[in-house]
Amino acid sequence: MLGMWKSNAPDEFVCIKFDMEISEGSSLSDVASSTTNSSGRRQNSAEVKEGQSFSMCKRLVQMMQGNIWISLSPLGFAQGMTLVLRFQIHPSYGRAVFSPGTSSEQPNSNPQFRGLHVILADDDHVNRMVTKKLLEKLGCEVTAVSSGSECLSALSSAENSFILVVLDLQMPEMDGFEVATRIRKFRSRNWPLIVAVTASAEDNVWERCLRMGMNGVIRKPVLLQGMADELQRVLQRAREQF
Amino acid sequence: MDSVVQLQRQLVDYTVQLFNEGFLDDQFNQLQQLQDESNPDFVVEVVTLFFEDSERLLDELAKALEQQSVDYTKIDAHVHQLKGSSSSIGAQRVQKVCIGFRNFCEERNIEGCQKCLHQVKREYSLVKTKLETLFKLERKVLAAGGSIPWPM
Repeated sequence: MLGMWKSNAPDEFVCIKFDMEISEGSSLSDVASSTTNSSGRRQNSAEVKEGQSFSMCKRLVQMMQGNIWISLSPLGFAQGMTLVLRFQIHPSYGRAVFSPGTSSEQPNSNPQFRGLHVILADDDHVNRMVTKKLLEKLGCEVTAVSSGSECLSALSSAENSFILVVLDLQMPEMDGFEVATRIRKFRSRNWPLIVAVTASAEDNVWERCLRMGMNGVIRKPVLLQGMADELQRVLQRAREQF
Repeated sequence: MDSVVQLQRQLVDYTVQLFNEGFLDDQFNQLQQLQDESNPDFVVEVVTLFFEDSERLLDELAKALEQQSVDYTKIDAHVHQLKGSSSSIGAQRVQKVCIGFRNFCEERNIEGCQKCLHQVKREYSLVKTKLETLFKLERKVLAAGGSIPWPM
């Protein structure tokens, strides 16, 4: 049974409660065991001995600012377990992006990607400046770098906030494909998301990008609407896969 | 002293002319769209950066073509960069010459390359002058208390 309610904290956290029922036949010997004293009197729940693995779970849960406890039947046997976890609510770029009807609005009058932390890698000054401004116009927080290696180090030092990488494919030192390969080696398939930017009009660029583990492609010259559309598509797909 | 309206009319006419003659394309409109109160000089800043970068690239190109043994890969890389940045700001005629330039690089055609360099220098010089005139007109409009009517 799953329940959810908002805590008293102002809009920052949500608590989720898991209620688990323990059926008669199952054994909870590794979770908890109740002891009776020699006179056969019932013990209260405070004296239920907790098994070692349960203690570990409890410790972990408490570190996550939640709680876990066993509920007892009238006879003093464990009949259920309750787990409460507290999650911090992240900026809702997700909600804004997926609500219908945003495409009809001007992208620059409605920053749909507020809070999206983007790393932009492009070796050309002018392109970098223009694309950065474009992303900022869409509400993104942009870290702009001028090479593949700078991109990789920016990623490794970034906080664990949601990240998308916008990558120019044709960079001299380390091209976009190599950067993407390296990113995918050490990270999961969908974090960070990678969007390639290319001047190439070849058909197989998209395929090649996908094979390298990228999530989207934008053709140059980069336009506000084009970027907004592709970011939206990429975020939508990522959401579907979770 | 021209009135605000007259200055604005001049600005609009001049801008339309630049578009009609192919000096600027829609990408320039994109830049204007990106400009806002938080960054009121964005277009001038980007274009100034373009001028600096382009002049450096044109110097490099001239040097590279004068070498005994011409490094076409290097030349192609420079032209690619120039093509990219001119495209980003909407300098259409410069971009077009770059496309032809790259073809000659691929063919390792030294004469073709030299001809293109000459052409791209000319187109760059033209668009630079025109943009500087455009910005001057904009400043006049603003100084007279008017606003820039964009898009045109």
